[in-house]
Parts: sequence; structure tokens; C-alpha cells
Amino acid sequence: DTRDAAQARVRSAPAPVTDVATLCVCDLLVAQCDVNCCCDPDCTAEDFSLFTSCSVPVVMGDSQLCSQKAAVYSLDVDANPPERIFKLIDQVNPSIFCIHATNYKQALYLKSPEIPTPENFDQLLDKFGGPTFSTEPDSWDLDTDAQNPPDANETSRYEYGAPVQTEDAFLRLPSPVVSSWCSDANPAGFLVNQATKCIRSVSVEKCDSIQALSMLFYINSSILAVPKSSQMVNITVQSITVQSVNGMRTLLSSSDVLRLPMAVGDLCINAVLGVNYHITHTDTGEIIEAAAAFVLGAISKEALSIEQSFEISFTQENTEPVPLSGNPGYVVGLPVRAGFQPQGYPSFPSAFLFAALALSSNKHSQLTILHSTSTQDCLAAQGARAPVLFGYNMISGCKLRITAAMKCQPLAQTLLDVLKGQSFPEYVASFGNSQAQDVLDWVPITQLHISEQMISHTLQSSCQIPVSLGIEVKWTKYGSLVNPQARIVNVTATITSTTLKQLPSGRERIIPITSSVVFTDISLPAEPSYKAWPTIDIKLPFDFFYPFV
Amino acid sequence: LSSLPLQILLYVNGIYYIFYFLATLAMIIYKSQVFSYPDDLLAPDLAVLFLMAVLEVPRLYLGFKGNLTEAEAPLGLSLGLTVASVVLSVYLLLWQTYVLWADVLLNALLLAAYGLESGLKVTAIAAFVS
Repeated sequence: DTRDAAQARVRSAPAPVTDVATLCVCDLLVAQCDVNCCCDPDCTAEDFSLFTSCSVPVVMGDSQLCSQKAAVYSLDVDANPPERIFKLIDQVNPSIFCIHATNYKQALYLKSPEIPTPENFDQLLDKFGGPTFSTEPDSWDLDTDAQNPPDANETSRYEYGAPVQTEDAFLRLPSPVVSSWCSDANPAGFLVNQATKCIRSVSVEKCDSIQALSMLFYINSSILAVPKSSQMVNITVQSITVQSVNGMRTLLSSSDVLRLPMAVGDLCINAVLGVNYHITHTDTGEIIEAAAAFVLGAISKEALSIEQSFEISFTQENTEPVPLSGNPGYVVGLPVRAGFQPQGYPSFPSAFLFAALALSSNKHSQLTILHSTSTQDCLAAQGARAPVLFGYNMISGCKLRITAAMKCQPLAQTLLDVLKGQSFPEYVASFGNSQAQDVLDWVPITQLHISEQMISHTLQSSCQIPVSLGIEVKWTKYGSLVNPQARIVNVTATITSTTLKQLPSGRERIIPITSSVVFTDISLPAEPSYKAWPTIDIKLPFDFFYPFV
Repeated sequence: LSSLPLQILLYVNGIYYIFYFLATLAMIIYKSQVFSYPDDLLAPDLAVLFLMAVLEVPRLYLGFKGNLTEAEAPLGLSLGLTVASVVLSVYLLLWQTYVLWADVLLNALLLAAYGLESGLKVTAIAAFVS
């Protein structure tokens, strides 16, 4: 009964106060006088005498009403001590659109909310529990029905970034999280090509019991072809490369035999040092093939940890993807695409619209620059090249030790190979996505030779050796001002040669060899372009001058 | 024998009613934008206004016809329709969701015109009957 009464009290909210004489907005402290609050009933006359002004001068209902009562509070500062004046007046709204009467009681006051009870809780939850009433911005999903169709679609295909599912969990790509130690909980995302390197702690004694060192760990669970389905795709072993202790890698001819790690003497052989997954998918988001290429190696007894590297790449079936460097303009940081003109075709620009340029899909025909090595010896580091990345000016070099015994001509040829690489391309793609068929989208590389000749030796037949290669790539901003695309306009490769003086025998000289790439922006300032002025096309009708013509 | 004041009043009433209808409709639209006007209260108010407009046309036509042809039957029918219009006008004056001061003025004027018209129609009927 007391409980029922208490419950009854809780069920209804307190009744709203509508009498302006008793309503006080600034009365915040209970049983205490609020400062400068002239309507506070807790204040005495002495408190009023200390006030400076009234924070709430008038308490009134809706000002749209034609006539209403208003309580006006003010301080009479002339009296001594200052006293509060309270007046109840009739406020008149002179507008012709004032509300004379209303038959809708809730119009002028805020609606009292329904107190939830066990009876109306479900109905209130339906009405107000939706995402539009939620205070978390993340759950604001205006279309609540849309939460269900993506679930339905999830069963039919993978979407970009969705974790690749296997029969027990996800396809794992171990990667460093926070620190460099391998974490096995990183799922591979569909169509997300990743390459990670991480460190795993090992010990030779527990060689065959550490799961992550065994090939089986990476291929034993089969991949689901589509999410939440029962169609499985087994991971096949594409190739096995064995790395010896001194770093030499050998590709095994047969990759069907599963090699598990085992401890042999002081070493643990067949430990997985790297896995390269290749996943083939259809254009509807279904995985049809999965292959893994392993690099196995040996761990010595002293090693406490090894570095493992993992890579995953996705290829669409029946395609050979060519990585684009931009679409259409070059993206800073992506390699500059280059190619050759196949043999037997007439030279550019005469009439050959059908010749195809060999695309730089293999690394050997990319535009590359000499890659500086730690030994800095030009002759020892042949073959180390780095791709030229768009927008990145690079300079690299090496030191050439010349002895008296070296012959000029072979040395010059070797240096030219060192500077230019094995296959220096002839054309560079103008746009990041230039196709091989569009010959006009390819810019020929202009080759210049500059020889620095010392004046005193002009008459002697001298030996010219190239000492520096400078590639200057001129590019421009192409297209609209708000979204300019980078376009390569001109590529010039300048070889600077210098005279090699014949050395007295036994002496040797060290010459620095440099190669550099410079990107220059030659874009013109943007021009405004306007639509053509409309032309007025007036023609007289042909029989305008009828009687006279 | 036709009553000339009645004719003039009917004519003026017609013009005034057009103004009244447009003004009341505009004010209902204004009220629905500025105040809280739920749909289940807006619908009866609009229905009353349109019903009054629908009744006004035959009412005025019968009034004109009855007065000019000096026939009591159309005039009597017009009087009946006037009673209905008065009821609707009283609704808009007293029982509308929001009654603005302009509403009070318009409806009061309309009720005065209806009252005067009713009086003149009664005298006209009396004159025609006798």
C-alpha cells in the first residue's frame, strides 16, 4: 500500500507548474537564496537589499497569446535599503495574429513524457529505441532495413577488406603489432595486397613443436570460397625454396613433399622463413584458387629469434595484372612505367598506330637508377638497381677504382652498363595508366651526351668514360584545376663523360660515379575556360524580299 | 417585390467570402508552420473550412435565384444552408485548434453578415408569400 502509493507516485511525473506568480526559473538552490534571483521564495527582504539586478525580470507564458498574466520583478534601487518589486500584470500582444484561444492544451506547454512501466515498456522501446534516438553517432543508421541486406549479401561474395575466412577462423598473415614480434591474429583482407615482416622467438630444442615454423600451420585449413559457405578451396604448395645458412636460395624441383621442421645436430632445418600466398578470385568475389610459396631455412643453435616475412597477393582469374602508377595521372611514389618498341617496327613517329610497346610488367624493363650499396664499389655492385619513383628526386652513386691496367673501351662500356642498367627503356608512359596500344601516350627518352674535355687535352685522342647519368623528367599538371593529374611530358637522359688520363703504372685513382633523377614541374598556370558564347543565328526567310526578288 | 438590400448583401457576401476563405486557409497554413499542429487536429479544421466553401456556392445561388424570381422555395432552402454555414462559422470561431485574433474578426464579420442576410430573407419570404 505504501509501496503501491510510492509506485503510483513514480509512475506519473510531477505536474507542470503554470502559474507565473509561483514559477521561478533561477531558483536553483533548494532552501537557499539564489543570488540576484528576484523571484526566489527563499530570499528575505535583507537578501533582496543586497542584490544588484534581477537576473529574471519577467516570467511569462507563451508570448504569442493575445493577453496573459506576467509576473514582473524589479529592484527599486532608490529606496534605502533596495527592495524588490513584484507586479502581476496583464501582458497584451498587439499583433493581429496573436493566439486568442486554443483548444489544444498541449500547444503551449511541453508534453509530459510517459513514465515507463512494465506494461508500456515494449511499446516505448519500439517507438524510442531506434537509432534516431540514440546518443551514439556511430549507431545512426537511418535505414534500419539496410542492416539486413548486407548480411544477405555477405553470404554470396567477399568484399574488399573483408577477412578471408577459413574453416576454423581466418586466413592468418602474421604481422608485427605494436612491437616487431609476430602476432598470428592478423587476418588477411580480401583484395588487400600485404607484405609483412616480423620476428618470432625460436629455440632449436623445441624446433618441431613450434607450430609457426612448420609448413603445415600455413596450409592445413582450407579457405572458404565465399563467406559462410561450405565450399572449400585447399591451399596448394606452389613452390619451396630452401635457403642455406649462408643465404643462398635454391628452388626445389618437386614441391609436393611436405617438409616439416626437424632438429638435425645443431640446426633446425625446414623452418619456415617466408610464405607468399597467391589467391586467385573471380570478378564476383569468389575465391577459386589459393597457392603458397614457401622459403624454408635452417636455424642455428645460437639464434633466439628469426625474421619471417609474409606476403599475400590477389589476382583475378584469366587476367595478368599490370600495376598502374596512377589513374590517369601519376601518383607520387609509384614507379615510372617505361617500355621498349619491339624490334622490326618502323621508328616513331611514322605511321605505326598498331605497334605495341612491351610493357614494364617485368622489373627488368622499368626505368631504374643505380642503387647505392654499402660497398660503394661500382664494379662489384653490378645489377643493384632501384626503380625510379614518380616525384622523388633521387641521387645515387658508387666509386670506381681505376688502375693502370684497365683498358679504356671495356671500362667505358662497363660504366655505361652500371649507369644505365641492362635494358634501358626507350619510352616512358605519359600517364600512369597508359596502355601499350596507345603509342601517343608514350614519351620517347631523349639521350644526350656531354663530354667534359679539359682544354689542354683537346688535341690528344683521349679516352672518354661516362661518369654521370642525369635523368630529368619534366612533368605538367593536366586537366582541371581542382583535380590536376600529373603527366610526364619530356624525359631526357644526359650522360656526362670525362677524359680519363692514362695513369702511370702502379698508381690507382678513385672516381665517383653518380646517377640522379630530377622531376621538374613545368606546368603552366591554370587558364580559365568558359563555355562558348552563344551565337545568334539569324537568317532571313528566303522569300523575305518577295515582290522585288 | 424583390428585396434590393438582400440582393446587395448577397453580392457583397460572395466577394467577402472569397477573401474570408483565402485568409483563413492562409492562416491555417501559417499556424501549422509556426505552432505545433498535429495532423489529427489539422484535418477537422481544414474539413470544416472546405465544407463551408462547398455549401456557400449553392447557398448564394439559391439566394440570388429566389430573390430575383420572387420564389419562396429557393430562398427557404438558402436559409437552411445559411443555418449550416452559421454552425460551421461558429466552430471556426470557438472550437478551432488555434483561434487567432484575426480569426475572431473574420468570423465575427461573417456571422454578422449571415445574421443580417437571414433577417432579410425572412422578410422577403414573408413578402413573397403574402
